[in-house]
Parts: sequence; C-alpha cells; structure tokens
Amino acid sequence: MAKTVLIVEDNELNMKLFRDLLEAHGYNAIGTNRGTDALELVRKHRPDLILMDIQLPEVSGLDVTRWIKADPELRSIPVVAVTAFAMKGDEERIREGGCEAYLSKPISVAKFIETVRQFVG
Amino acid sequence: MDGRPQRENDVILLSKIRDHLDGLLHPSARRDAMTSARHRAFIAPRLLGSLVALALLPIYLVLRGAPSEIEVVIFAWLIAPILVAYFLSRTGRYESAHVLSSAALCAMVMAVAVRTGGIASFAAVWLVVLPIEAALSASRRVVAFAAALALICVAALVVLGLAGVLPPSQIGPQVAAAYAAAGIASATVFAVVLAYAAEALARAGGRQLIAEEERYRMLALNMSDIVSRHRRNGAIEFISPAAEALLGVSSSQLSGHGLFDRVHVGDRPAYLKALSDAARGAISGNVEFRVRRDGPRGGVDFVWLEMRCRPLERAGAAPDEREREVVAVMRDVTERKSQEDALQAARAVAERADAAKSRFLATMSHELRTPLNAIIGFSEMIVREDDLMVDAARRKEYAQLINDSGQHLLSVVNGILDLSKMEAGSFEIALHPFLPREAILSCCNLMALKARENGLDLRLRLPEDLPEITADPRAFRQVVLNLVSNAIKFTERGGSVTVSCRIEGGRLLLSVADTGIGIGGEDLKRIGEPFFQAGTTYQRRHEGTGLGLSIVKTLVDLHGGEISVSSKLNEGTVVAVALPLVAVSPTERAASNVTPLAPVPRPDNAIMQVKKSA
Repeated sequence: MAKTVLIVEDNELNMKLFRDLLEAHGYNAIGTNRGTDALELVRKHRPDLILMDIQLPEVSGLDVTRWIKADPELRSIPVVAVTAFAMKGDEERIREGGCEAYLSKPISVAKFIETVRQFVG
Repeated sequence: MDGRPQRENDVILLSKIRDHLDGLLHPSARRDAMTSARHRAFIAPRLLGSLVALALLPIYLVLRGAPSEIEVVIFAWLIAPILVAYFLSRTGRYESAHVLSSAALCAMVMAVAVRTGGIASFAAVWLVVLPIEAALSASRRVVAFAAALALICVAALVVLGLAGVLPPSQIGPQVAAAYAAAGIASATVFAVVLAYAAEALARAGGRQLIAEEERYRMLALNMSDIVSRHRRNGAIEFISPAAEALLGVSSSQLSGHGLFDRVHVGDRPAYLKALSDAARGAISGNVEFRVRRDGPRGGVDFVWLEMRCRPLERAGAAPDEREREVVAVMRDVTERKSQEDALQAARAVAERADAAKSRFLATMSHELRTPLNAIIGFSEMIVREDDLMVDAARRKEYAQLINDSGQHLLSVVNGILDLSKMEAGSFEIALHPFLPREAILSCCNLMALKARENGLDLRLRLPEDLPEITADPRAFRQVVLNLVSNAIKFTERGGSVTVSCRIEGGRLLLSVADTGIGIGGEDLKRIGEPFFQAGTTYQRRHEGTGLGLSIVKTLVDLHGGEISVSSKLNEGTVVAVALPLVAVSPTERAASNVTPLAPVPRPDNAIMQVKKSA
C-alpha cells in the first residue's frame, strides 16, 4: 500500500512540484495551502510524513508543527520543514520547533527524495 | 626731585623689612593671616626696641661713664625682648612668649623698685603696664597671669617695705620727683605704644574678616550650583540665590516644601530617599530629578538637577542623629540629559534600521528562493525525465511553470532595483499630462482577477469628470497597482477593497480602503519605512517583497505629494495619497520652497533627474 505524504505549502507552483515528485516516486500526496486546515487533514488522513512550509497565511508552519507534536496521537508522525528561510540560524530555530528534518529551498530533487525515503521507506 | 620717588623707595624699604620680618615667623604662624599679624606685632617692636637699646648703649657709656646698678638692669631688660622674640620665632608658642615677656618686665620692675624705695619707687607704676601688655595676647589666661603677677609684686613690695628689709633708696630726695615723672611718662609712652599695637591688630582682624566675607560673597554670587540646607524631613531652611536664576522663582518660594512641590512626581521618591539617607548619616551618591521651572513668559518646563547631599556636621551640635540636618548641592544637568536622550534615540533608530535591514535580507532571500525552488525543481525533473517518467505534455507544462516562476522572479528583482535606485537618488520621473481615471481603471482591471480569486469585492468610486493631471504616468500606475495589490493581499476572503479618487483642496486624492487584517499601532508608525514589514516574518500570507509601500512612498514624495496610512488591527486599512494636480520637480520645489496652488504651464515630456536631498 502506498505511503501518504501531506504537503503544507502556500505557493501553488511549489505545491505542484512536490506533488508531482512524490507521485512519480509512487507516494500518495495530499496537500493544503493553509496552516489552519493542516491539523484537520492530519487527523483525517493520518499521513506517514508531513512536508511543512514555514511561512504560511495566518499561522506559521512552526505553530502547526507544535500543535501536531502536542497531540499524543499525532506526535509520532515525522515533520520535515521545507522552507525558503535559509539564513543563518533558521535551521536551528526550525529544528527546535519540533521538525525532524529541514530542507532549504531551492531543493535538490535527489536530496528531497532521499529525505522522504529516509522517513517513510 | 619731588618726594615721590623717595616715597616709593620708602615703600620698597618697608616691604623689604616686612619680608625679613615674615622670615622670622614660625611656620605654624604663617598659615592664617590673623595669627601671623599677631606674631609680627609681637616680634617687630621687641626687635626694634632692643636694637635701639643696643645701639644707644655705647653712646650712653661714653657720655655717662660706668653705669649704675639700675642702669645695668634697665639695659638688661631692654635687651631681654630680643630673646623672647627669638623664642617665639623658634617655637611659635605665642602664649608662652607673652608669659615670658611679662615675666621679664616684672623682673626688671622689681629689680629697680627694690633698690629705689619699694612701693614708693618711680618704677612701681610700671606694674600697671603688665596686664596691659598681656592684653595684646588676646588670651584670658595670659592676662590673668600678668594681673596676678603684678598684684603679687605690689604685695611683695608693700610687705618688704613694712618689714624694713629693703635697702635704702639710691635716689636722692632732690631727684625723686624727676624720677617719678620719668617713670610715669615712660610707662604712659609704653602703654600708648601698646594701645597702638592693639588698634593695629584689631584693624588687621577687621580687614581679614571683610576679605573673607568678600570671598564667600563672590562664591555665592558666581556659583551656578545651588547649595541648600534641609531639615531631617527634607524641608528647606536655606537655599542659595543660584536657585532663583535657575528655576525662575524667589528663594523664599522654594524654602520649606517649595522645592519639593516642584519636583516631578515620578522623581519625588528618589529625591526624598537621598535626603533621608543623608539625614541618617549616610553620604548618598548622586541623585537626578526633574524640577518644574517657570519661564519668563509664564511657560513651564522641567530642568534636570543632579543632587549630592551629606549630613551637616556642626561644631557643638548634639550628636543625636534625629537632629541631623542635611546640606545638598544641586547642579543643572539638563543639557547633559538631553544629550543622553538624543544619543539613546539615535541608537534606537540605528538599531531599528539595522534590525529592519536584517529582516529585509531574510525576506529578500526567502522571496528569491521561492520562485527559484520551482525553477530548479521543475528543470531538474525535465533533466531526469526518464527516471521520473515525464512525458512530452508534462515537459511542456513544466517549461511553462519555469517561465512563470522566472517572470515572478524578475518582478521581485525589478522591485529591488527600483527601490535601490530611489534610495540612491537616481530614479527618473517623466512628467506628462494624463487622465487619472483611465489609469486607475486599467490598473483595477488588472487586479480584478486576483481579487476574484481571493473572494474579494473590488469596488471603484471614480467621478466621471476627474481632470487631467501632470505626473509620471508609469509611477502613478505603479502606485495604484501596489496599493490595490497590497489591499488584496491583506484582506481575508469575503472582504472588500474600495478604490476612490476625487479632487480636494487643489490636489488629487486617491484612497484605497480594505477590510483586511489591518496594522497594529506600533507597526503603523513605521509602515512605509524602507524594508519594513508589519507582523512577524514567519506569519506572512503574501508573496510580496515588503517593498510595495516603500516604493509608493518614494514615488509620491518625488511628485511632491503626501501619503497617509490609517488602520486598525483586524478592521482594515486606508491608504490615502494626495498628489498635486501639476507635479513639480523636486529640485524646483527645493528652490522656491512654495507649492503652487494654481496649475502653472509646464513644458510637456519634462524629464527630471532626481537627486537625493541631504
């Protein structure tokens, strides 16, 4: 059975890029562009991995990650931050926020797929 | 030759003698002027008298032959003062010197009186001089000693006379009257000399007092610091006149709690604490507080005073610490304070600018990386089309997406370039007459699609008869586009954006109002600062560069217009731009410094080079 990956990403083009990449590698991809919808989708679909953009409308990806990690039923789902915040200190801050891994934009396709495989096999 | 140079020579001679005399003073006597005057008055006449006596002795011996016993005693006494003066010069013990002097005089008088008839002797009258001479010492002990000595001598002479042990008088009865007269006359002369000396000493004392008073008066008048004396509860008993000049009220109005009433409410605890610490005996550090000042025309402001206070140590005061008064010295430090404030404000501005720049860099990096992610990602997928099973249709689609992202990237880069050009002062505006209504309509048409996608209602309130204006049409369109797209970005689904335009006060008034998230009070003050974006970095919903409003502000400035932003958090924002109907180049504005109220004819297509003003 195909593994499910949730993509939280507010940029349409990047959403399409990640979705196409995941589907080409045989993953089942679901997505949302709003952090506020993310928690509901996680509860409903119980994805095997979450790819989290950090800058999102209304609530930040870090807030959404904290909510997920605060929920005992959801906390085991790995969260990988995929963000264009690539300045000094951003990775530390994001990992401290509870994300299991950090990918900076622009991504390398190979690194992206390797990271996804690392968490969902 | 008139007497003038002669007098000058005398003065020089006198001052030389004085210098030599001062050289004889004991070091301990030189410290204070009154004491040295006393010592000088003691030493000088004794030296002079003795030297005169020594000088006369040979002449006397030549004229008289061998001296009688009495004459030897008198000469001995005349020379004795030189020894007493030497004693004072060596030891500095003024009272002892007086005692010695009295004793020497007494010894001489007794020696003469014993040989010349006891109490009836012409010399006995000299015993009166004893206490008078002692009076110069200004010491009660010395006077008492001299008086006692004189009385003892009188008693001794009387007793010795009655006992009949005195030798017979060496003075014959025929010259007794002459001797008596000489005794009284010499005693009188001596007393007169003493009286003059006493008078001179008193005068020196008076001069000294006046000089000291003058010194303190000069201090009080010329000191800009305020000196005050406080009771333990802080009430002022005395405050120096410097307070009047500084605070614009009389000293009497400041005494009691007058000063306290003028201390800034926020600084009163520190003021009282410093005074009560000092009253308890602690020497406080500096305390700074604001005091209300009355200006010359009824204006009121605050001056900063720095105060240092200490407990007042008064000789003879009871050691009971409850009674301790406090002396305070206050100084005007307003200028230093305002410099400190200015420095702090400048530092805050610099730090804010620095933080804004860091944030701008972070945002810029984010905004460039986002489209780059799509460009690099999709192009890599095309490169690896075999692995990823990308067919021809997909390839084409990806190429289109790469192009879209490239276009977006280009607009971000252009925005940065525009702003940096404006920042550098080399942005050109080209003024043309055009119809603002058409320009606004075309911009809103461009934005209508975006508004619809976001579920917003884009409303227009444009009068049909908006007149032609002269401005840079490209800049005008950029202003409208930036304002409308900002409004759309920051407004939630279901809200509305209203663009309206009218003529008011000879200016074109364009306003864009939204029902969006609004801007918080603190952020509102800084909106439009270059690189500033409201809200936290991670929580932004739009793709903007954070340059939109900065660019608008700069463009409006270049046209000599004004921009104002009013907003309430979660209720919406209104950005209003006022432009002159006929824009004037910034350089001309700087030259005339007057904004024309009526349109003035201008050559078309004027291109102006804008220089950043200092």
